[in-house]
Amino acid sequence: MKRKQVLQDLTTRFKQDILEVFDKSKTRVYIEIRPEAIIPIARYIFKDLDARFNIASGIDTRKFIEILYHFTFEELALLISLRVKLDRAKPAIDSLTPVSEAFNWIEREMHELLGIQFKGHPGLKRLLLSDKWPKGVYPLRCDYKEWDKTAIRDRGVK
Amino acid sequence: MKLPKIRELIEAIKALIVGPYTTKFPKKPHTPYKSFRGQPLFNEEYCVGCLACEQVCPAEAIDHKDIKTGKTAKRIIYHYTDTCIFCGECEAACIAEHKGIKLSNEWDLAFFDRSKAFETIERELVLCEICGSIIAAKKHILWIVEKIGELSFSNPTLYQTRLKELGLIDDNLVASIKDNARDDRIKILCAHCRRQTTLTTKNSRTGG
Amino acid sequence: MKKTIIPIGPYHPLQEEPEFFMLTVEGETVVDVDVQLGYNHRGIEKLSELKTFDQATFVIERICGICSTSHPFAYTQAVEDIGGVEVPMRAKYIRTIIAEGERIHSHMLWLGLAGHFLGYNTVYMWVWKLREEILDVMEIISGNRNNYAMFKPGGVRRDINPEDIPLVMKKIDKIVPTLKMLYKAVRDDPVIHARTKKIGILTKEESINFSALGPTSRASGVARDVRKDTEYGAYLEMDWDMIVTHNGDVFDKVVVRILEMLESIKIIKYCLLHLPDGEIDVKIKNIPPGEGIGTHEAPRGETFHYVRSDGSNSPVRHKVRAPTFMNLPTYKATIKGEKIADASIILAAIDPCYCCTERMSIRNTKGERLFDGKELIRLSQAKTQKVKQKLGVKESSLEKLVQGKL
Repeated sequence: MKRKQVLQDLTTRFKQDILEVFDKSKTRVYIEIRPEAIIPIARYIFKDLDARFNIASGIDTRKFIEILYHFTFEELALLISLRVKLDRAKPAIDSLTPVSEAFNWIEREMHELLGIQFKGHPGLKRLLLSDKWPKGVYPLRCDYKEWDKTAIRDRGVK
Repeated sequence: MKLPKIRELIEAIKALIVGPYTTKFPKKPHTPYKSFRGQPLFNEEYCVGCLACEQVCPAEAIDHKDIKTGKTAKRIIYHYTDTCIFCGECEAACIAEHKGIKLSNEWDLAFFDRSKAFETIERELVLCEICGSIIAAKKHILWIVEKIGELSFSNPTLYQTRLKELGLIDDNLVASIKDNARDDRIKILCAHCRRQTTLTTKNSRTGG
Repeated sequence: MKKTIIPIGPYHPLQEEPEFFMLTVEGETVVDVDVQLGYNHRGIEKLSELKTFDQATFVIERICGICSTSHPFAYTQAVEDIGGVEVPMRAKYIRTIIAEGERIHSHMLWLGLAGHFLGYNTVYMWVWKLREEILDVMEIISGNRNNYAMFKPGGVRRDINPEDIPLVMKKIDKIVPTLKMLYKAVRDDPVIHARTKKIGILTKEESINFSALGPTSRASGVARDVRKDTEYGAYLEMDWDMIVTHNGDVFDKVVVRILEMLESIKIIKYCLLHLPDGEIDVKIKNIPPGEGIGTHEAPRGETFHYVRSDGSNSPVRHKVRAPTFMNLPTYKATIKGEKIADASIILAAIDPCYCCTERMSIRNTKGERLFDGKELIRLSQAKTQKVKQKLGVKESSLEKLVQGKL
């Protein structure tokens, strides 16, 4: 399938769930979708269109929490990013781990660094932060405050 | 199974004849290639004391202290060897044709006491004649004058510093009535005092 | 179970090894594996938000010591993608030379370690001796053996002196015959065949399901390489092959990496002989608000950087994804059903950053600790001795002499 066909196929098949398509350049397309429709769209792109899942990145803008899922189409040299906007007070979305094992670790990382809840994940425990890190403190949020009083913040020489 | 052995045996015999590959450091000194990025060193002749290197350093390894003693002041710039990452950004940002701080070839920098691991350079500072605050390093102002040539006569601070350096003028007299009036304009001033003296309409001699 | 947190800085020699991979075994066969990460987490994504776009390149370089160029390469491409900046041709060639030089030194490091795990210490010493030549080349071009500080958004920082090129070509030509000899030695040795063929197989479906990258997936028959699939650098200017094999076991991964080194040498030589003239960088006035993505084929797979900016001097969000993040979960699929003595070579075949392979320990199903990392390497080397005896391979007295000398 060519690039135009792929985009047309996606926009017609999921017309009611796609909110906005931003065609930035020949190799980058950003599509905003509804959070409830992530599983059918991701499964379609991953399994039927044979794209490779690259990674997901979460960001805390001050108004909402946003997740971007990046998929690469190797033959077309195209990278499609699915944008999902979640409520900042209680961010929650369905987990994609039942679709494929590739989503497992990145959802664990986003859970502990941003506080996003993934419903249906088989084992949502800590991946990167240590056990001494307090619960409920999410480092990548914009209202994160330093909690460790013993940390050294300068050169360390008297 | 004999054939593979011959290839490796040739390599083994070559290695036996040539000897060990390791160098005899520290018995024989080691000189790196001339493009090696070693210890940054300040240059007394070229450095102007502008602190551009401090602003661009990614590791925050350059620091400075301004010390005022009465009517004179000096600036000490420190470069911490143990924090430096030898990236060369300070040399690339130096305004004195990349010669004020330069990366040498020195690589043998081990030390025991972290509190003594730094290099310094001192530059003289120019002070405002009304309020006494620090304007800039004297060599920096002279560098600007040389760059803009005759345009420096539009700014009293610039040309007065230059002429003082040449020994052509003496120190300015302090105004008898200290009210930062119009004729205080022809003095070496900081930005705040310069604006005050420019915008006022008073004349300190006549008071009107 | 004592866990230790590693701060920014060198490792303490008296520290207990923190548990990293927990393999559950029954007898000699591995039944399950549990992976624990995070001992090297330094918060670099948060640190990038405090530095300017230009300064962040130096922090990014120090994410990994071996693949030190792949992260700045992807990051600068992401920043250039935000505003659509076009880099001059000479800068693209210089970037390609540095990236391929790093690929050679990283694969050589891996080859030496694989030899060490298998008990071939001669391979270890010879390959690392050869690696000094390529590190000298990098020192002549960029000024340092590692952490080259050559990349910046808009181009490169330093130029290549034309007087250095003959010396560089001479050093590269020294590497080629020894590499070819090593390839033929690996291909023909029956002991290596017995130790690495049909061990730790990753099938094509599993590789696609886990989204594995780099040589790990190319050895399973999945033909994916960012250098051929995307237009960046100078890779499309010349002829070179993508190495793909189909069995997915450890032997294929060794072959893929050695042949990739020979292709890299071809690329470097072409770039050095055909360096175009021109500027080495473009002055970027400001980065507009927006987001950008940059990718690069590191020695271990595809690196991915995502940068978002709001028009100011520093990034608002910087997401880094190293290739090992997608490759490590494949360990679950490759280790089940294998013997303990093969555990270290199967992990090494994914080529994780070396510090990870040190921290491996084995428990039986009751939770008691049986072996740790050094023990596993010793087990693997002992198995090679047994295989050698079974096949009737005798160690010649000359080899023993050479091993003693080196």
